[in-house]
Amino acid sequence: MSGMPWDRGWDPFRELQREVGRLIGSIDPFPVGPRVAVYPPMNFYDAGDRYLLTAQLPGMTSDLIELTISGETLTLRGERKRAEGIGEECYRRQERPMGRWSRTVTLPDRVDNDQVSASFAGGILTIALPKAEAARPRHIAVSNGAGVEPNGGRGA
Amino acid sequence: MENPTIQVTVATRRPVSGASEPAPMPGERAAPTITPPIDIHEGPDGLILEADLPGATASTLRVELEGNVLTLHARIEPPLPEGARLLHEEYRLGDYQRSFILGDEVDRDRITAELTHGVLRLTLPRADRRKTRRIEIRS
Repeated sequence: MSGMPWDRGWDPFRELQREVGRLIGSIDPFPVGPRVAVYPPMNFYDAGDRYLLTAQLPGMTSDLIELTISGETLTLRGERKRAEGIGEECYRRQERPMGRWSRTVTLPDRVDNDQVSASFAGGILTIALPKAEAARPRHIAVSNGAGVEPNGGRGA
Repeated sequence: MENPTIQVTVATRRPVSGASEPAPMPGERAAPTITPPIDIHEGPDGLILEADLPGATASTLRVELEGNVLTLHARIEPPLPEGARLLHEEYRLGDYQRSFILGDEVDRDRITAELTHGVLRLTLPRADRRKTRRIEIRS
């Protein structure tokens, strides 16, 4: 896809790293959709006064996700392990990505880095990136100028 | 003595859904149906099937057994504030659905399902079929 929808050429996904464990090729004639090129897959939304970055991390818990912010760089990393005590020979099918993962996102200077917060529920990590004051949408009141009032100019 | 092998076949055909999906509004993309990735492993008492269903909740997840076809379906409500505008997309939001054909060795009455941190764990116990059955010989 060409043309990132945000301006100033911000590409938060420029540094990607994917380290997944063994991925068994599917023998299904109708395999699971296109393989994700990056892990975890993330979506990015503009929610008015803040941006939202969501990542699909099923099977993780919040204490297993390391989220750090340093300057303009947001890094998330963790490791997803298969259940212990189950030999490889016991698996009939392994489609779920496993292993160490990390992603680095470069925040635009329009984000108030001190106010970044994150929550994790149901396998979805949601990172809220509040916009810096100057970048928030402002409502500009439109007032009627004296010269264009419907009744203007009738008097005198 | 070897344990009888449980067969679970990943269905390759789409199950017939009951209601037809509403046509998308002009300019709106239809919500896709996502085929979740799964693992299947053999445990001491049967098979364990795990499916990644990030964003699914227990209240919107259905696991149905119809004949020998086990279908999981999870409706996804995007937990986003109204008016949030998508700027970059690496995963699609859509309902999860996948079907499996169970072999006869699965004890259908003891199938259990558990959803934790977006992972569905289905336990498919092996039916106890090793009891010796005496076959009468008619004379």
